Amino acid sequence: MGAIEVGDLTKEYGSVLGVDSLSFTVEDGEIFGFLGPNGAGKTTTIRALLGLISPTSGTATVLGADVRNEDSLIEAKQRIGYLPADLGFDEGVTGRRVLDYHASIKGDHRRDELLEVFTPPLERPIREYSTGNTRMLGLIQAFMHDPDLVIMDEPTAGLDPLKQEEFNEFIRAERERGTTVFFSSHVLSEVRRVCDRVGILRAGQLVGLEEIEALLDRGGKRVHVVPVDGDNPAITELDGAFDVTSVGEEVQFTYTGDYNALLAELARHDVRDVEISEPALEDVFMHYYGTDDANGEASTPEAADV
Amino acid sequence: MFETARYESERRLRGTAAISIGLAVLIAFFVWYFSVLDTESLEQMAQSLPPSMLEAFGIETIATIEGFLAAEVYNFLWVLGLGLYFAYTAGGLIAGDIERDRMELLLSFPISRSRLLLEKFSSLLVPIVAFNAVVALVVYASAAAIGESIAPMDLLLVHLLSIPYLLTCAAIGTVFSVLLDRADTAKRGAIGLVFALFLIDSVTAGAESLDWVGKLSPTQYYNPSEMLVDGTYALGDSGVLLVVAAALLIASHILFKRRDI
Repeated sequence: MGAIEVGDLTKEYGSVLGVDSLSFTVEDGEIFGFLGPNGAGKTTTIRALLGLISPTSGTATVLGADVRNEDSLIEAKQRIGYLPADLGFDEGVTGRRVLDYHASIKGDHRRDELLEVFTPPLERPIREYSTGNTRMLGLIQAFMHDPDLVIMDEPTAGLDPLKQEEFNEFIRAERERGTTVFFSSHVLSEVRRVCDRVGILRAGQLVGLEEIEALLDRGGKRVHVVPVDGDNPAITELDGAFDVTSVGEEVQFTYTGDYNALLAELARHDVRDVEISEPALEDVFMHYYGTDDANGEASTPEAADV
Repeated sequence: MFETARYESERRLRGTAAISIGLAVLIAFFVWYFSVLDTESLEQMAQSLPPSMLEAFGIETIATIEGFLAAEVYNFLWVLGLGLYFAYTAGGLIAGDIERDRMELLLSFPISRSRLLLEKFSSLLVPIVAFNAVVALVVYASAAAIGESIAPMDLLLVHLLSIPYLLTCAAIGTVFSVLLDRADTAKRGAIGLVFALFLIDSVTAGAESLDWVGKLSPTQYYNPSEMLVDGTYALGDSGVLLVVAAALLIASHILFKRRDI
């Protein structure tokens, strides 16, 4: 049995659909990225997993506990860590007092070790905390009781790039310890560095579920080329070049073909500048999940992220 | 067990201490003021008030220290002031955590929603007990200081039996708190209702035919004037308050358990 099993999970808010018959499994010990644009239903799913909201239909289990059964969920929560997207602590108490309170309920075998990686100012009251400090305190409380499963909603929002890299490093070490990690993000580049598998959510529905490598291969690369005047490479004739557009002198396209063919073609011409980068999450959607209805995002219900 | 109750109680200590000091000073002042009052003319003035007004404000007599304290301190400060205070504070118990994004983390704890609610509610016992203990002592000591004496048993009962009353007010606030997402709305709703119930009791006090309406108000079941001035008390009334408080808490618990966060 997987650490998380979601079966036909549906949550409606009045007439608005939060998530629509979602099904997937997160295996023990894997790092699972839950990807999707804002408002796709990621937070709704996570809240259902923790029993914060009850599903309209379908269900899910976390560590074998049915989320609709409070007693069994409470039992499972002893081995679950959670970091919500909107994180609040009592303003008037110090970070240390917050952790002491959490420790008194959940235990804290790992607090000291975590405080070497994440360094919120523990002696200061929460009201003086920056967003980054609050998030670090949140990460510590999520991991301090050495949970088997950690669920995080947009964990790196608010962390500076340096802390973000430390976070990635930390998550990889967690995988070595055998912790199952489930986290949501709307930024592909963030997820790809640490995840084993990703599920992609769009407008409340799972539109993709695959190994991160496969996703990146299929997503290809975003290429920008600035040729010297008039010496245009024959991009459109390359296999695997999509969406070729010219912006001023620059030619932009998405490339999923053989890299040697692209480099050989570029080498035949006089190239002044070139940039090959990760595609944006939206571009991956556009090409591989049949979401060419351009207003797909705009029609996503706001309530889904509430 | 009781980690949340302990944590929440600790967070109430400072506010409780501050308010206790404020109450102590205020009450010492009232008692001193009584010692310099011309009680006879005051009594004459009081007796010239319409009887319904006397009843509404719980004034039996104002010429004795018991009557004076019952009217000024207990009927006003305790029944109305603290009643509103605890309704207001309880209004923020749950709604405040939901509004400020704290509830999600609290509900990720391996404890049930009912336990969380009950432990949070129980932290209100800290100020309830502290205010009563401090003010009972101050009243007794300051009365002795001006050469008056109050029957200690009556004083003890006035304070002891105010606890079910204040718990009922807090339970009213708790219902608002689990129903609403915004702490301000819940707090205002709670004090609005408790104040309305106080008024209903006061207004219908003289009207026999509207007796039943007044019985809806928790203020009907806690009568400090009778206890202090006449030395009579109705334990049954306190029982009613405890049952109502428990029923309101059970309702809150059901609402809280079923709601989405």
